[in-house]
Amino acid sequence: MDVKKVLLGLFLVGVLGIAVVASGCIGGQQTATPTTVTQKETVTETKPVEQVTLKVIGPWSGAELDAFMEVIKAFEAQHPNIKVEYKTYRAEDLSTILPLQFESGDTPADVIAMWGWFIAEMGQKGHLMEFNEVINPDEYVPGILDTVTADGKIYGVPFTAAAKPGFWYRKSFFEKHGLKPPETWDEFVALLEKIKQIPGVKAPIVSGDSVGWPLSDVTEHFILTFGGKDLQLKLINGEVKWEDPQVRSIFEQRLVPLLKAGYFSDPIEWTSAVDLWWKGDYALYFMGTWITGMVDDPTDLGLISLPGVKAMVLAPDYFMVPKYTSHPKEAMELAKFLATEGQRIHVGTKSGKLATWKKVSIDDYWEPMKDVAKVVANVESAPDLDDSVGGEWQKTFWDQLKLLWVQPNRLDDVLSTLDAKFPKK
Amino acid sequence: MRRPKSLTPLFFLLPALVLMVPFVIYPVFKTIYLSFFLDGKFVGLENYKEVLLSPDIVNLDRFPTKSPPWGALIHNIVWIAIHLPATVFLGLGIALLLRREEVKGSSIVKSIIFLGMVIPMIVGGLIIRFLFEEGAGVIPAIFKLLGIERLAITWTAYPETALFAAILGSIWIWTGFSMLMYSAGLASIPKDYYEAALIDGANKFQIFKNVTWPLLKPITVVVVAMTLLWDLKIFDVVYVATGGGPGGASMVLALKMWDYFARALNYNYAAVVAVLLTALTLIPALWLIRRRE
Repeated sequence: MDVKKVLLGLFLVGVLGIAVVASGCIGGQQTATPTTVTQKETVTETKPVEQVTLKVIGPWSGAELDAFMEVIKAFEAQHPNIKVEYKTYRAEDLSTILPLQFESGDTPADVIAMWGWFIAEMGQKGHLMEFNEVINPDEYVPGILDTVTADGKIYGVPFTAAAKPGFWYRKSFFEKHGLKPPETWDEFVALLEKIKQIPGVKAPIVSGDSVGWPLSDVTEHFILTFGGKDLQLKLINGEVKWEDPQVRSIFEQRLVPLLKAGYFSDPIEWTSAVDLWWKGDYALYFMGTWITGMVDDPTDLGLISLPGVKAMVLAPDYFMVPKYTSHPKEAMELAKFLATEGQRIHVGTKSGKLATWKKVSIDDYWEPMKDVAKVVANVESAPDLDDSVGGEWQKTFWDQLKLLWVQPNRLDDVLSTLDAKFPKK
Repeated sequence: MRRPKSLTPLFFLLPALVLMVPFVIYPVFKTIYLSFFLDGKFVGLENYKEVLLSPDIVNLDRFPTKSPPWGALIHNIVWIAIHLPATVFLGLGIALLLRREEVKGSSIVKSIIFLGMVIPMIVGGLIIRFLFEEGAGVIPAIFKLLGIERLAITWTAYPETALFAAILGSIWIWTGFSMLMYSAGLASIPKDYYEAALIDGANKFQIFKNVTWPLLKPITVVVVAMTLLWDLKIFDVVYVATGGGPGGASMVLALKMWDYFARALNYNYAAVVAVLLTALTLIPALWLIRRRE
């Protein structure tokens, strides 16, 4: 036999062999060996014997992270054998990393905070642990688990939530200019006109910009006020079109006239907008409750919801536990803690968040958040519209609202695009 | 035992092949394979048809009579049409201006211009975002000073200006590369050529046209090809500066690919855009290779 041919053959087999092994490491779903752990074990065994380090991924940094770490410290104190390492990743970045890692049977962390719709999607693909026997759904704000539930299986647990209750103002600013919170829609419009006339004020309302969520929060507040929770749910489920007369009228008669009148600023990077609003360039800022932890003096904060508001968005952070964790029992234990007692600790910090676990009382809250918690408790809570739909449509929604904000006369284009891009069932 | 001589190169190639096969060759073929499937079924060219006929990729209803969005592919072409000549000629102009040693501070000026190339693209995108923001940015401030109120706005917020803000900003980022290449090219031209041209009575324009420009041709080929590649695969700058908006007015192919992949979780459509993008980038890449040969 020709030696050259033999060597060449061996060489090629070697290359292919290594390539196949390496490819399997990066791509083959069938090579993944998910760890299986019964839910019963998770619930009953609370004291791990060996020292375990859990990796947690969340979107928080700065002051938000400080608040979250208070929760982690409490968990570590209760579980001396478990150490928690935290890493910050934005959900946008995780959405790129996680599908690939999961497909290859790997995970970057044991407990991961992520969008609700993403969790449901990954759960359906068989990458996540289930929580049906770990938490009691009756102990949570109604509807809060819907986003992370698919085919009756709960794939994620809710942590605390941000509410999007309305337009924030500085009490000192209102006192200085003789302004008072409105009680009717006409008074609200009159207030905006009055603010517009104040010298030095660039626009009555500052519009936050980022990837786009600040504008969707404002829009949802209008939908919930003039259409109610029912309309919001129907929009989420695709049962009502965006070009439906009921939806169109909310835009045409309420939001668009305000945009055309110049009551909203152009979108400004949302954290810069906080500073500009706080120093008086703008009078009102629609933002979630986390703003209480971003200002120098939270006692100077006042809140104006649109008169007649029927429901408010409650947007929780969700955690999931990938099947590929090396410490499934401990990871589930941490997730359960975050969904229950961890919430009590978190709302007591400057997180500006609200509990989704009903066993947390008003007394557990950080002082400036107690009033907000009472306001939110008096109205229905609704799921965040774009977070619930998710996917490509969510980005389209944000992007189209940015367009509407600067060109309100293109309402028809915006609504038809939102319908055209809505996920087909 | 002595190893046959002709197999020696293959053994040297082995480490590279071991890395190339799983990390480059396999993903390339897998991507092409994925582009012909949808929900696990072979669909032929259906995915290509869907993607290419989508107004997100080519929007002939709006192009060229109305303001963007014109579709990601057209935005990339517009990007090339503006960015390519601007960076080539700006880089050449600056290199020519600063080539003489007697120009004081030329190295400092070059360093400042090259800064755009050194900073991460994400930071570049952020700078562009603030550069064009009303109230914080220098560009709207200049237009306000000139009394052109229509342009004294947040450029990235308006569909008419968002794409151009990203393109203009990227000219600043990329001009440093062009300038550096031309500076190196100019330094390699022997002074004798210029002296001979002067003795023959050539004026400055004739010297540039007949000596400098022809001798810089290999550099121009590299600059043009690299700029084309950069323009086609532009992602980070747009992602940070505008996010492709508003209303898709600054969407580009690479970002659309990411949207399909990470937002829609539609790996098949993402693969289609990836294949198209690869095919488009192969054109300047092959042209460059042939010219250099």
